Amino acid sequence: MSDTQPQGFKAGSNLEKVLAAGHFAVTAELGPPKSADAEAISVKAKFLKGAVDAANITDNQTAIVRVSSIAAGYLALQQGIEPVIQITCRDRNRIAIQSDVLGAYTLGLRNILCLSGDHQKFGNHPTAKNVYDMDSIQLIALLKKMRDEKKFACGDEIRSSKKAPLKEPRIFIGGAENPFGDPLEFRAARLGKKAAAGVDFIQTQCIYDMERFEEWMRQVRNRGLHERVKILAGVTPLKSLGMAKHMRDNVAGLSVPDYWIDRLAKAEDKAAEGIKMCVEQIERLRGIEGVAGVHLMAIEWEDRVPEIVKGAGLLPRPVV
Amino acid sequence: MITAVRKPFDEIRDLVKGYDRLLILGCGTCVTVCMAGGEKEVGILASTLRLADQKDGRSREITEATIERQCDREFFDAVKEKMAAADAVLSMACGVGAQFCGEVFAGKAVLPALNTKFYGTTEGPGVWSARCSGCGTCVIADFGGICPVTRCSKSLLNGPCGGSSKGKCEVDPANIECGWQLIHDRMKLLGRLADLEAVQPLKDWSTGRDGGPGRIVKEDATL
Amino acid sequence: MKGGIVALCCENSGWKALASLGDDPVLDGVEAVRLPCSGKAETGMMLKILEKGAAGVLVLGCPKDDCTFLRGSARAQKRVAVARAALKDAGVGEERVRMEFISSVDTPRLAEAIRAMKAALEAHEGKA
Repeated sequence: MSDTQPQGFKAGSNLEKVLAAGHFAVTAELGPPKSADAEAISVKAKFLKGAVDAANITDNQTAIVRVSSIAAGYLALQQGIEPVIQITCRDRNRIAIQSDVLGAYTLGLRNILCLSGDHQKFGNHPTAKNVYDMDSIQLIALLKKMRDEKKFACGDEIRSSKKAPLKEPRIFIGGAENPFGDPLEFRAARLGKKAAAGVDFIQTQCIYDMERFEEWMRQVRNRGLHERVKILAGVTPLKSLGMAKHMRDNVAGLSVPDYWIDRLAKAEDKAAEGIKMCVEQIERLRGIEGVAGVHLMAIEWEDRVPEIVKGAGLLPRPVV
Repeated sequence: MITAVRKPFDEIRDLVKGYDRLLILGCGTCVTVCMAGGEKEVGILASTLRLADQKDGRSREITEATIERQCDREFFDAVKEKMAAADAVLSMACGVGAQFCGEVFAGKAVLPALNTKFYGTTEGPGVWSARCSGCGTCVIADFGGICPVTRCSKSLLNGPCGGSSKGKCEVDPANIECGWQLIHDRMKLLGRLADLEAVQPLKDWSTGRDGGPGRIVKEDATL
Repeated sequence: MKGGIVALCCENSGWKALASLGDDPVLDGVEAVRLPCSGKAETGMMLKILEKGAAGVLVLGCPKDDCTFLRGSARAQKRVAVARAALKDAGVGEERVRMEFISSVDTPRLAEAIRAMKAALEAHEGKA
């Protein structure tokens, strides 16, 4: 990945260029392994190569210890996948985060997704101290400050010494949004805050309730946010009826309308039906004004991603 | 007030096992209000220990006393003799008083009977909850009088995370309200919702615990 | 200079010195309050006096190594500092509260201190 700033782009990443050119972008997720297993990352990357514009490399998701996002991201980059590194605010203070951003950039990583991070009580180390030196919005503002003002949080210029040239990390800045979270009436405003802080793109939590999502998009469009921020709609294909019911009953804030359950229940091959429904959903999302792409979270089902992307008419991925 | 809960009895019994003349010292302020270490609780603990000792066939002298506060030197004067007569003091004050007791009576074994929890308020009979973390830079005015540092599980300053559901925090929906739902509702009541759209900058944590053990000097009161 | 000066005087020093000045015109506009010790003067009292319309408050105490109550005048000095800081915060002029250490016989210095304070208050009034 070139180090010099491509003309007119903030970071010059593939994802940025695809979105800037107006293509409907496709991103997916790659969860690093829970051990020092470099090979596992290559295996997952293989499934996604060519099917996505970039892949999120999660950061100790659900507070379970995994290979770090930057390390796994670098390994994925070697496999020809453009990573979207994730940084949560749970585990690192501003010193570590800025250090990681510099490090990620030096390794050729260009997209960073800013997250608050699941509370440690959900993971395998509930007795750990959490950090939360900042929140996701402050993190977005920080990355923007580093990139555009070429300064650290403390105000120091990003240069190795007084006489050295400025060498700032040029990052394409991402964030996440949950259109269905409470307080509901604050959600579009919260996206507004992220836009004000400088976010370039956001990915939403997975959507099943398309009506509510369309309502959220309406509020987003009313505020003109879709023009300032590239919005990628999150989808997760349902593997089974059990999974559908689990999502409906056990995942806080997730609304799963009956139609998903009913259709799956009626289908003979539930997995195939789940894929089909996902493809239809993506096609519907493409038609919503302000939706710039799809974020496919095929949890432990990464091998089906190419098929879904192809089914939705999104292959081959554009070369920009 | 500073709230606390009494340590489990077994842990206390283990802490005091080596002592034959014990003074159980209560505190009449915060821990009386949250019913963890006041005169009543001193009585309960003393009786429990005596009954346990009786069962174990152990003869031990256990005296009881409660002073106004254990965080100010002058209140210890009232129990100077009792302290001298004991070979250990089981302090039922909060972590501050339990430590200060040991400073005032240097060389005396002082053991904590409580686990100190948070700066909180009495929500209702028997229920206390946290309101303040002592961050050293109070910003509740920006949030309608509600502290996001304390009442949000992640101390977020710019709005809720995705784990807010029906006014509850996903960390413990049965017991924890979403601080940001509270802030949102309050600001709406005050007609100040628009103020929540301002991006709050990074917090200076150095004015609180992160800056090191706190110390306040009020010049006009020193001599 | 409108409003006058209220002198909070230690009865062992300032009060006696003030009395020795008799009806010297330097005392025009100066109202004296007798205290057992300048250490009795509280910050809040000083500010309230100004709130009620006095132009200035002059606290008169014994020299610090000679206070009858040992640390009274030293305490008063700190309280005057707090009052001055409050006046600065309010933007109304720190010079409106002042402390002087005067022994009971040091009338020339007391007269000079009162003159200096009046001058400072007039100058401040002129600016206001």
